[in-house]
Amino acid sequence: MMTTKTKKKKKKKKKKKKKKILLIDDDRDFLMATKVILEKGGYEIFMAEDGKSGIEMIKSISPDLAIIDMMMETWGEGFNVVSRIRSLEGGKDLPLIILSAVDLQGPYQSFEPSDESPTVNMVLHKPLKADDLLRYVDQLTQ
Amino acid sequence: MAEKTDYSLILVIDDEESIRDGCRQVLEKSNYSVITSANGDEGLQLAREISPAIAFIDLKMPGLSGMEVVDILSKDIPDTVLIVITGYASIVSAVEAMKKGVYDYLPKPFTPDQLRAIAQRGIDHRNLKLETQILRKEKKEMENNFITFVSHEMRSPLVTIRQYMESLKVVAGDNLGGDAVDIIKRCSKRIRNLEELVEHWLDLRRIDEGTLVRKKKPMNLSGTIMKCIDEMEPLCTRRDLTLEVNVPADLPTMVGDKESLSRVFINIIGNATKYTPKGGTLSIRAEYDDHYIVITIADTGIGIPSDKFLLIFEPFYRIKGKGDQYRGSGLGLSFCKKIMKAHDGRIEVASEEGKGTTFSLTFSRQTHPVTKRGKEESSAREKGRTDS
Repeated sequence: MMTTKTKKKKKKKKKKKKKKILLIDDDRDFLMATKVILEKGGYEIFMAEDGKSGIEMIKSISPDLAIIDMMMETWGEGFNVVSRIRSLEGGKDLPLIILSAVDLQGPYQSFEPSDESPTVNMVLHKPLKADDLLRYVDQLTQ
Repeated sequence: MAEKTDYSLILVIDDEESIRDGCRQVLEKSNYSVITSANGDEGLQLAREISPAIAFIDLKMPGLSGMEVVDILSKDIPDTVLIVITGYASIVSAVEAMKKGVYDYLPKPFTPDQLRAIAQRGIDHRNLKLETQILRKEKKEMENNFITFVSHEMRSPLVTIRQYMESLKVVAGDNLGGDAVDIIKRCSKRIRNLEELVEHWLDLRRIDEGTLVRKKKPMNLSGTIMKCIDEMEPLCTRRDLTLEVNVPADLPTMVGDKESLSRVFINIIGNATKYTPKGGTLSIRAEYDDHYIVITIADTGIGIPSDKFLLIFEPFYRIKGKGDQYRGSGLGLSFCKKIMKAHDGRIEVASEEGKGTTFSLTFSRQTHPVTKRGKEESSAREKGRTDS
């Protein structure tokens, strides 16, 4: 924790503060692969491997954007995490991207966000093209 | 087995006090818990409350008869083993009871040994039955979980690998030469093919389990086809293919699963674009008469040898010698065939090598019950057709 803080301070001196992005996904490899792309885009990346620690991190680091996998452990878990975030203080306006590996077709169609489901700013399909991802993230953190 | 039977609950319903007491003494000595009842009504109520392992039921009782009790209990508590006690050694009534689901019968008078033996057999029978039930339930659960399991455990690694490829490009950046970029591209493509294979295979499983085509609803066929065509149009443009579309907007409404039929259309149109050289033509038409709706997708592509017409609908079949560029899962057409079958339709192919291929999808028009309204509807349709 200490090292991260000092690092942050150093960079702050160099140029303006990096935007913070939190990735929540139970696939560690997917986290690593996505982290590399976003870091190249100049963001500071935090990672959580389950919804619970993800929500804790949102409270402690207040990221500028969170990217959440919809299919953690159980299908739709991502949506639960989203509702929890939305009910947090200040969580209402946090830009959120939800990720899905299936194209919301067939038997999964019923998970299409309805009026009652918590709002996310964007739904993207895995895998993410590097330039697409950076463009969307850039848009949402402006 | 013997341990399992300890303290099993046994209910004895008999109007004769001596029988009730006798049974209790013998069975309690064998470590069963015994509850007794002197008449059918009370016995019935008790049985429902305690769901005993075994219920001994006297056939001849005043009030609610043993046979009636059997009737009700075999439905209400099917896991309880029912054994009838027949006072007048009447084989006929015992047989009748067994037809109703009674496990065995005990003729009066009986010895303690006979009672113990039959109780033991009843318990064994019940344990077997319960074990079978549990196994069956587990099997069903496994089958249900299978699809979820496969999609998560097989697809996610593939998705992650592709994500790593993407990050590799980012990390290496300009250090990668043209060859390296090409290799990454080829890797990604093969992984994508593998993903498609998993997806198609899952689709086939879902059809077999009846979960894919489960949302049959009245649907607008013209709209569905046009949407698919719109989706495929950019691909045609990219491949420099002329697209001719002749789909009347007033195709009769049919009952079907829009989702899976869309995938059939996209699959067939996709094949046509894949196997038609640049500059070729794709022609999509729809026609209907009183009995059928026929959709044809014709291309000016490389064609299919006539001896392979039947084989192309088989899972994993691919025409050999066509090279790397046409690699697919080999499951697309068998998927289409199954979906068409689930819609009481058929899929047919006509083709000439080097000239082109025509796939036709035929749906029977659902026969409506002939009501006055139905007749009006169909005459209105006729009119609409002559107008167009």
